[in-house]
Amino acid sequence: MALSKKSKTAFTDPLMSNNPISLQVLGICSALAVTTKLDTAVVMSFAVIAVLSVSNTVISILRKMIPAKVRIIVQLSVIASMVILTDMVLKAFFYDISKQLSVFVALIITNCIIMGRAEAFAMQNGPGRSLLDGLGNGLGYGLILIGVAFFRELLGFGTIYNRQVIPESFYQAGYENMGLMVLSPGAFIILGLIVWAQRIIGKVEEE
Amino acid sequence: MHSNRYTLIFAMAITIVLAFFLSLADSSLKEKYEKNVEVDIRKNILISLGFSPTDVLLMNNENVESIFQNSIVGFVVDNSGSIVDNKLPQDIDPNVDLNLYPIYKRVSNNITEGYSIPISGKGLWGTMFGYFSIEPDGATAKGITFYQHIETPGLGGEVDKPWFQNNFVGKRFVDENGTLIGIQTVKGQVDDTSKEAYHLVDGISGATMTSRGLNQFLLKDLKLYDPYFSKIRTKRNG
Repeated sequence: MALSKKSKTAFTDPLMSNNPISLQVLGICSALAVTTKLDTAVVMSFAVIAVLSVSNTVISILRKMIPAKVRIIVQLSVIASMVILTDMVLKAFFYDISKQLSVFVALIITNCIIMGRAEAFAMQNGPGRSLLDGLGNGLGYGLILIGVAFFRELLGFGTIYNRQVIPESFYQAGYENMGLMVLSPGAFIILGLIVWAQRIIGKVEEE
Repeated sequence: MHSNRYTLIFAMAITIVLAFFLSLADSSLKEKYEKNVEVDIRKNILISLGFSPTDVLLMNNENVESIFQNSIVGFVVDNSGSIVDNKLPQDIDPNVDLNLYPIYKRVSNNITEGYSIPISGKGLWGTMFGYFSIEPDGATAKGITFYQHIETPGLGGEVDKPWFQNNFVGKRFVDENGTLIGIQTVKGQVDDTSKEAYHLVDGISGATMTSRGLNQFLLKDLKLYDPYFSKIRTKRNG
């Protein structure tokens, strides 16, 4: 099946040129909170991708039936149900990581990316395109999350995916892990640098 | 524009459908989840009894089961400190057996290496659950862990971090007369030169209420077990 140009951009735009975190500056709360280590960031990304693509698809299917007066509440209940479901699956299969993510899985409900895509995209477009839009935005969110987590884990703990990569001899020579990276301000700085780099490369101009 | 009638029916229908799917998912995943919780509690008992946290956390469920079976002995004491025969920790019904308390003992080569008791009580936002371990002398802390709490991450939530838990190791919860005094968290850092430092640990900044709660319920739970541990102390001192 050949994808139309519009469907393709629904998927590819949010990855780079219209990334939900670094360009639209949405979903910052969780981007700061769960990026101390890669494993939590990866699981969180998958959780958001799952919630976003399913909720987008469901809302798109229902879009002509949803009464305009209660549309936000209907969107929220679909999203909330998906988040609870995701939380249950994580607790059943990835218990340790779900404990580390603690309240942040439940807080996906309040992630502006998800409500934003439901209201701005899924309410106007068909299910197939909405699914692609959900996947794209979820992946775009995940890319930034994993990018931030990569630098925070490397600089803050000297590990990548819980494996030691900075050799012991460095520590003996006086190298120290950056405590700042473990704390939220570290995430702010990394995220700021990523946003900066992306705007230079993508030649984004503030309107 | 949809009519009010339609809006109401639609809202009801979507609620029922979503609730149905959620309860379906809940009932099919519940068993797995409960098993995870049980294993997690066992991991906490192991960690509080001095097993390395990094090793224990990487273990799969079967490994935890087998280590638990090989080196942990569970038994039950009553409120006079005597061991209750033919009862195991899992036989205790919290609604009926109000005066029976479980203890998990770490044994290797028939030598007792420590005792772990459940602790729980109110923090700032809700009840905290954990395990507190005691050295074979019945007077010194061996470790503390928390497996469930809803304290603020970064503040009270630090109770489940190694830096806080390691503070407890080696502290004594009885004074020189053998009276139970518990272990208290203090504001800021403990002055190690102080005479009182043996029962004080560094507090968590920004988490006064959590620390205060912990001080209280730790003492409350140690009191319940004190008849048993005071017997151990007298036996040791001859």
